[in-house]
Amino acid sequence: MSEPRTIDPGHVSTASNDDMVQRIGQLARMLRDSMRELGLDKEVERAAEAIPDARDRLSYIATMTEQAAERSLNAIDRAQPLQDLMSERANALQQRWTTCQETLPLVQGSTEVARLIHDTQTYLAEVPEHTQATRQELLEILMAQDFQDLTGQVIKRMMDVIREIEQQLVQVLLDNVPAGEARENRRQKAQERDQGLLNGPQIDTSHADVMANQDQVDDLLDELGF
Amino acid sequence: MADKNMRILVVDDFPTMRRIVRSLLKELGYTNVEEAEDGEEGLARLRAEAFDFVVSDWNMPNLDGLEMLKRIRADDGLKSLPVLMVTAEAKKENIIAAAQAGANGYVVKPFTAATLEEKLNKIFEKLGI
Repeated sequence: MSEPRTIDPGHVSTASNDDMVQRIGQLARMLRDSMRELGLDKEVERAAEAIPDARDRLSYIATMTEQAAERSLNAIDRAQPLQDLMSERANALQQRWTTCQETLPLVQGSTEVARLIHDTQTYLAEVPEHTQATRQELLEILMAQDFQDLTGQVIKRMMDVIREIEQQLVQVLLDNVPAGEARENRRQKAQERDQGLLNGPQIDTSHADVMANQDQVDDLLDELGF
Repeated sequence: MADKNMRILVVDDFPTMRRIVRSLLKELGYTNVEEAEDGEEGLARLRAEAFDFVVSDWNMPNLDGLEMLKRIRADDGLKSLPVLMVTAEAKKENIIAAAQAGANGYVVKPFTAATLEEKLNKIFEKLGI
């Protein structure tokens, strides 16, 4: 601290760093005192107390969306065999009508009956087309349930963030002396997490190193020669 | 044409996603599908029973998909088993890491039925299954 504040740039920066740390320490003390004077420590306390509630609400969302997805999947599982059955039966019935027409030319004497037979057969022929289309729509509903996995992962992550905020708030309340070191550790941990490989669903796909769609993934794999 | 009776293991910690993948595979004609809820269970099942194909998530508790993949490649009995990653991890370094660890394909969630089919067929074609 007795370093002269001139000439050597290395020394200058060390000296001003020490200076800065001291000033931040003073600021922190001032902030803490004014917080107490203004009753803001109570605000922090209230914020910290509100967190378990926020966590419960998030967990409620996770549970409800999972249940909704499960119910949709169960309904799809029940509906699909019914569609198959309908299609099979329509096919069988249509075949019987065809055979019947060949063996009973009499029926065709009445134009009314002939028209009815024709319409019925047309309808029966359409049924499998429609059940197939319905199957495709059911598949679409099934695929849409993947939101539960994606939102679930995001909620999990948010719960972690909230837990961390809670810890920090509680720490603010507990600490009389600002624990600079502890904070530094926490900051580093947060940074490490960001750089890790488990980041989950990408909410913002505009980042340069984030794949916005399957095509980009494929292009990258091609580039890598896979 | 791949054998529709091939035994497939779907590894994902979300039951919804396991069901979706299973239903999609069924729609494509693959009905011989088993499930595991994390990498640890997945690896244990792969070592205990015979499987022909693995579809795995990445982010899972206990043992994640990438680690499971690495252990599969390091296991003499399993190392040639085809593994398709189906994951929400979509960063460039994720795809590089998976490719380097020996993944046969990489599908990003959310995906479509058509994408899954295309990637499966591409792997089958490449491996001549």
